Amino acid sequence: MLTRREFIKYVAIGSASLLLGCAKKEALVTPTETPIATPMYRAEFILGYGKDHRLKGGKWGIGFFPKIHVLEKLVEYDLKNDDFIPNLARCWDIEQDGKVITFELNRGIKFSDGSELNAEAVKFTVEWLKINHPLGSETFESAEVVDDYTVSITYKEAKFFNLAKMAEFHMSIMSPKSVEPEGDPNGKFVLPIGTGPFKVVDYKEEQYAVYEPNEFWYERYGIKPKFKKFVVKFIKDEDTRVMALKSGEVDAISDYSHGGSDYTPRNQLGILQEEGYKVFKRVIPLTWIIAFNYEKVPFNDVKMREAVDLAVNRDEIVKIFDNQVLPARTLFIEDAPGIKEAGVMYECDPERAKQIIDELGCAGIEVNMIVDKAQSDQILVCQLIQQQLKDIGINVNLEILETGAYKQKRDAGEYDMRLYYIGGTDRRFYMRMFWRFHPARKWKAYVSERTGELCEKILTEFDKEKRKQYLIEFYKAIYEEHGVVPLYFDIMTTVASKNVDISYEEMFYYPNGIPFGEPLFYAVGVRA
Amino acid sequence: MLKYVARRILQIIPTLLGVSFLSFSLLYIFPGDPAEIILTITSGSEPSYEEIQKFRAEMGLDRPIIVQYIDWLSKAIRGDFGNSWTEGKPVMDLILQRLPASAELFFMTFAISISFAMLLGIVSAIYKDRAIDHFCRIFSLLGISIPSFWLGLILIWIFSVQLHLLPAFGYGGFEHLILPVLTWSFSFMAIKTRFVRSCLLEALSQDYVITARAKGLPKRIVVLRHALRNALIPIITYFSLSISHLIVGSIMVEVVFSWPGLGSLLVESVFKRDFPVVQALIFISGVLFVVINLVVDILYAIIDPRIRYGD
Repeated sequence: MLTRREFIKYVAIGSASLLLGCAKKEALVTPTETPIATPMYRAEFILGYGKDHRLKGGKWGIGFFPKIHVLEKLVEYDLKNDDFIPNLARCWDIEQDGKVITFELNRGIKFSDGSELNAEAVKFTVEWLKINHPLGSETFESAEVVDDYTVSITYKEAKFFNLAKMAEFHMSIMSPKSVEPEGDPNGKFVLPIGTGPFKVVDYKEEQYAVYEPNEFWYERYGIKPKFKKFVVKFIKDEDTRVMALKSGEVDAISDYSHGGSDYTPRNQLGILQEEGYKVFKRVIPLTWIIAFNYEKVPFNDVKMREAVDLAVNRDEIVKIFDNQVLPARTLFIEDAPGIKEAGVMYECDPERAKQIIDELGCAGIEVNMIVDKAQSDQILVCQLIQQQLKDIGINVNLEILETGAYKQKRDAGEYDMRLYYIGGTDRRFYMRMFWRFHPARKWKAYVSERTGELCEKILTEFDKEKRKQYLIEFYKAIYEEHGVVPLYFDIMTTVASKNVDISYEEMFYYPNGIPFGEPLFYAVGVRA
Repeated sequence: MLKYVARRILQIIPTLLGVSFLSFSLLYIFPGDPAEIILTITSGSEPSYEEIQKFRAEMGLDRPIIVQYIDWLSKAIRGDFGNSWTEGKPVMDLILQRLPASAELFFMTFAISISFAMLLGIVSAIYKDRAIDHFCRIFSLLGISIPSFWLGLILIWIFSVQLHLLPAFGYGGFEHLILPVLTWSFSFMAIKTRFVRSCLLEALSQDYVITARAKGLPKRIVVLRHALRNALIPIITYFSLSISHLIVGSIMVEVVFSWPGLGSLLVESVFKRDFPVVQALIFISGVLFVVINLVVDILYAIIDPRIRYGD
């Protein structure tokens, strides 16, 4: 019979042996992957990502990630030069003031299944989008095949905006074989087949997606993949994602392609970098702002809006994000067209702000600010703004609301201020200009007669220089009317472990130098 | 007995109708316009007024509420909860797809939690106010107080990041199950341990226990054969009802460990305002609870005749 002391001793020895045994087993595991392009790289690259790729389509098609990595667009957008760059299309003709755009396709481009990209595929995509996607239905009227490599798209309105939309995520071209029956725009979506860097080989909803390099894409750019398999594991919790990277279960983690949500916590980026992880960061033209209920007292008064504008200390706000994001002293990042030329700078001057409030006789005024509970970072930003406005005599009642309740209050106009975002990843620059500042939209950030007219002109004007002038006037108008208060510019990040080889240029540019708004993984090599 | 069973079955019909109505009315109780939220989330673009109206018409949301409810209920009782608004697939398919992962997690947690809760509860009651009792009570208190998501992250940090022993996330082999089960079991067993302890302590204070002791029966026999048996009735009821946690009990654990179960499906559906899925999950959860309650009541009546005579 064992004594109690002996029993405890044996249990302790047994547990320690078990732990050591497990640890030893781990240490003895040797990589079995087969090297591909060079003997030094592993065959598999594993990425942790916050959102399911919806590769079976869902109601409105696949997720943003495959739209970026499996499919491609006719044109790409270069924000810095405000240029639309040929991609699948080699050139285009704008007819009837932009009502019709005829695209001539590059020859010899193949979908990952070996079939050729032709005008029929573009026509099919346009028709499929028109039926299945809200953006397609509001944009396209019809598409006509001119010849094998030329397709003419008729839009619902004559606008420059039509071309800008062609660089949008949703306008990615897919093979007619992506649906059943093949080529039927009313058909059932099966799997995305595109011309992009990867092809889908396996997918388990809410768990993982497995891609392989699309040999035709790599051939087109004359490069070789450094891995055989690209596994994306869906890890919804942001902290778990970081821990999965640290435990070595994934080689990298990346922000949601769409921007602004499901991202690596900003205050962990610095720590990760110090620990030796590679942090790839790109500032995007997505600006977080204070949006006012500008049609209602007290923020229907431009002076009140000016006071808030002057009271906000952006340098303090970015500290919430460990200074990883940039304070917004302009409406958009300086790469955005017309920003530098506009010469508009948002300043912080609490003294002046207080003076304005006193002059208006509004010291001690009560206003309410609504924020979505699901956006924890934004709650912190609102709390800081609440403090900064208190210092100038504005008492902010902060209402932290569940997403639906937040939207309900927003739609009912039951708020004075709220946080909002304008812009997006590069390709969304004009899209969000339309969504946030056009009089026709429901959830605007700000519209006045002057800014509304300018917005319409920006979205209609094909001439780059004229468009830039309108943009400059627009930025000035927003500033003078204090329509919104820019706070900070968002970023898009990828964090990779030490054994991941990729440069910043490879991460954010196509092999031919075309800038790309979102992180790309075609050049990743994971050292064994 | 049959009369008793028949009466109990009849009694649950209004309850089930209430459950169904509440599940259905979630669509109108939830704040925000589901059409707008769904269109924004799933299409990645912001819908126009016309698109929202079109969506409402397509989904039948423009009909009178009572018509919608009757239509929904008549299909729901046949297991047809319609199609998911975001996935476009039958809701039942989505649920069945996620059920195995949830069931695996739940039953493993259930088995471990109950075993430990019984053990700790009995030990705690027998050694009341002794060191081991204090330890069990502190353990239970921690289990109740520590949030699952925090504990989950701590366990990931220890076992995945530091020791590299177990995977940090995902669904797969047995090793993927360990951390989520540990995390959930900790809170799951905590309250049950306290329940077992209090039930047993109550039983131990009864006259028949004093009589048994006075007769000179060994302590083990008194506790296990006399007190515990009597204490088991409320314990079994309580444990059985926790089966309804299968759907909603594991939400935090599933989110932290990227476990593709019904809990995470519910959370995602709530955020996306995918009401057919939310309604189905709440309805099934409610029905499960009511049915288990009924089964337990019937078992009660079989085990303890006083109950049906009293009834």
